[in-house]
Amino acid sequence: MFSEQATPTAQGLLAPPSAEASTFTRVPVSAYADCSQPFRLGERSFSRQYAHIYAARLIEMRPILEERARQKWGNSVALRKLCELRAGEKCCVVGTLFKAMQLQPSILQEISEEHNLVPQPPLPKYIHPSDELILEDELQRIKLEGAVEVQRLVTGTIFAVYGSEQDDGKFLVEDHCFADLPRPLPWNGPSSDRFVLLVSGLGLGSGSGESLLSTQLLVDVVTGQLGAEGEQSCAAQISRVILAGNLLSQNTQSRDTINKAKYLTKKTQAASVEAVKMLDEILLQLCTSVPVDVMPGEFDPTNYTLPQQPLHHCMLPLASAYSTLQLVTNPYQADVDGIRFLGTSGQNVSDIFKYSSMDDYLEILEWTLLAGHISPTAPDTLGCYPFYKSDPFILTDCPHVYFCGNAPRFQSKLLKGEHGQQVLLVTVPAFSTTQTACLINLRNLSCQPIIFSGFGTEDDDGDMEVGH
Amino acid sequence: MEDELYLENIDEFVTDQNRIVTYKWLSYTLGVHVNQAKQMLYDYVERKRKENSGAQLHVTYLVAGNLIQNGHICHKVAVVREDKLEAMKSKLATIASVHVYSIQKALLKDSGPLYNTDYDIVKTNLHNCSKFSAIHCAAAVPRTSAEVSQVQTSVQAGSQTPSDTNAVSVPVVNGHGPSTAKQTAQQPKGIMGMFAAKAASKPQDTNKETKAEAKEAPGVSAVSSKPPAKGNIMNNFFGKAAMNKLKVNSVLEQPKEEKEVVKPSVPVAEPESSPNPVVEKPGKKTESARIQQKDKKSKMKRVDKSDNEEERVPENLKKKRKRIKKLQSDSSDEEDVPPSPMPEEEKAPSPPPVPALKTELEPASTEVSAGGKKRKRKRVLKSKMFIDEEEDCMVTEKVYESESCTDSEDDFAKSKPPAAHKQPVLPLRKEPKEERKNLKKGAATANRANKQVSIMGFFQKK
Repeated sequence: MFSEQATPTAQGLLAPPSAEASTFTRVPVSAYADCSQPFRLGERSFSRQYAHIYAARLIEMRPILEERARQKWGNSVALRKLCELRAGEKCCVVGTLFKAMQLQPSILQEISEEHNLVPQPPLPKYIHPSDELILEDELQRIKLEGAVEVQRLVTGTIFAVYGSEQDDGKFLVEDHCFADLPRPLPWNGPSSDRFVLLVSGLGLGSGSGESLLSTQLLVDVVTGQLGAEGEQSCAAQISRVILAGNLLSQNTQSRDTINKAKYLTKKTQAASVEAVKMLDEILLQLCTSVPVDVMPGEFDPTNYTLPQQPLHHCMLPLASAYSTLQLVTNPYQADVDGIRFLGTSGQNVSDIFKYSSMDDYLEILEWTLLAGHISPTAPDTLGCYPFYKSDPFILTDCPHVYFCGNAPRFQSKLLKGEHGQQVLLVTVPAFSTTQTACLINLRNLSCQPIIFSGFGTEDDDGDMEVGH
Repeated sequence: MEDELYLENIDEFVTDQNRIVTYKWLSYTLGVHVNQAKQMLYDYVERKRKENSGAQLHVTYLVAGNLIQNGHICHKVAVVREDKLEAMKSKLATIASVHVYSIQKALLKDSGPLYNTDYDIVKTNLHNCSKFSAIHCAAAVPRTSAEVSQVQTSVQAGSQTPSDTNAVSVPVVNGHGPSTAKQTAQQPKGIMGMFAAKAASKPQDTNKETKAEAKEAPGVSAVSSKPPAKGNIMNNFFGKAAMNKLKVNSVLEQPKEEKEVVKPSVPVAEPESSPNPVVEKPGKKTESARIQQKDKKSKMKRVDKSDNEEERVPENLKKKRKRIKKLQSDSSDEEDVPPSPMPEEEKAPSPPPVPALKTELEPASTEVSAGGKKRKRKRVLKSKMFIDEEEDCMVTEKVYESESCTDSEDDFAKSKPPAAHKQPVLPLRKEPKEERKNLKKGAATANRANKQVSIMGFFQKK
């Protein structure tokens, strides 16, 4: 793993100064291609309804699902549309899932006067035993019951069900299937160790200095200032750093100007201004040494709806002077040294977490991959741009590394598909709380967390993770 | 010996200056490679301890290595105090590096000061922060200015939302691909130039022209957030509530620039049909368009304006002096109002602050030139009622009149409530006349520390 070969010279710097200090050259960028063009929005028109995105999604995924259905239930399985259903006939239907949830926040209910409702406080999960699943296709919808895990599934998933229509008008499901992993990409990985560092949730501007030293240590390790010579030479093999969202902390989102009286907030600056300046300095230090991709996240100054557009380079005047700085979209897809990376800043996974019984971020990540769609809950519960021609969140190629940022803890798993797909799933933890980043070795698709810490007043032996 | 020099230096830093000497700080200060700095620190510690075992010296170390945690092999990088060094080393399965992180006289309770030291030294050396690092990246070269402008235009083009192509008819409107309708390169350069200028923290006057065209909507849509008070002497006269452009050239620019900078996220829309967010009523749209045009004109003809101002100032001064003697307004005076200020007054009563700024110059300057007036003026909020001939209605306005009672004298500055009743442009002609009259009643008293700027200003100027 990282820096194992550094062990022999570990104590090398505990010595009087040597005449020559060695410098190492960073591994060159061999093959980088930004593939996130579908996520970039040019003109934006919000005059469309969101129905089009569902229609595009269904049209695009229907052939894939029909193919899977045939594979699973035999070539002779009857593929029917909802309008063609006959009671009692066993068939397979492909459609969009809709989950009717009682606790789902509804703006109409909130503002409706006849209900006199107090707006619901945000809950960690909105699932309820009384939730129901409904399958929709182009023309009709039908209630589902039977062998479907109602709690697990979320609105917006396209899947195929096998069963029959009952007399009461509901569809009894015997089996179902998803789109499964998309087709694999050829492997062009490097032959020697190359690392990519994934960090998310730097949380600058939070007002608490806990993770600041750890952030500095991170920058120093990557730029080769920290560590003995062995470690520095390993750090020189880090070919890229990807910052996966939430560079700014949630505290910078305070909207004092709206809540407080004007005379109180007249001369105050938005908290994000200072935080962005700090970010600029950190990025400058990184950019002078390694290519960096910066993805925006939930609390970053960019648009709210997915796909989030790159941060504007005018906010980062010092760092934008370097061509190693790349401001990219969320979600982000790129070929780094021949390995396809695909990931988000975590909004898709945390949204599914809220509306499904799945608790594990890694499990949700894997599920989205198997469902063939990065973010099925958009636009229902997650803000999304009203696409109409095509849905860019549908997975068409199987990435080699699939990550999500701002997870509660670090997890990784190597998923193998039936057609030779190999995907490394990584949940990148929020750095501001865990001081952990992820190092991915591109040669063998392995992942290692790297933890930083300082020392504090309550320094005890057991407490290793958190700085103070 | 030369080598001993660094020992003396470190000794001085630690003992005499009582600093926290981190390897990074030492590296930048002495201009040596980071690894050499680490070795220097180690050497110093060893020698000092050999000489004087009771030396008051506290050392922190950096330890890095592999650690088994939760089933993963984690790589841990930690800064530890000397007393915890062995404990940390024993926890790690393999040790990748150990070196001195910092030396200081006092015992550190937590690693906060270490961070501060490093932060300060890096901040002062931002331009060459990788100079003494152990890794060199060949790809990290600053962009050339040609590339920079290319990036700017491509970003600008890609992110523009042309208002004229709102309709879905535009081919790439699925949000994919950059827009085909591009602004002239001039405009993006102007906007981006402004942002770049801000980065350089020096607004350039050369950008004025392009800026003028480009930022109509944000500029004119009267921003309710006032720009921070400038260190502008004249500004002080009007107090904080006033957004004043006493000098048309610089001040007009500066607040606008500030606004721009303060709101970098405001999308720069085209002047013609941009839906001005502040102007809500449909009737005002045409006015705002006119305002924009006027603004444009005014900005473009800045030099002319200032000339005009100078000319007008003595005029008004004369007028004002006349009026002071008369004390109360005569209707005859209304007719005397020269046509030249009229065009300004035709400005729609869109949110006041912006227009108010420009015209305050006159009253201000007149007051300044008027100099030592003995009488005191007070501004009082009064309701004024008059008949609007155009609309054939009675119009009641709350107006700040500077009254001269026994102690104070009249001056007039009308402040209109933002929800001005006057939508159409035509009635404005009458309106400004009246207001003009009122304004001219006395010399401007606005030039006092606590006086508020009135909306009157905007009818006067231009």
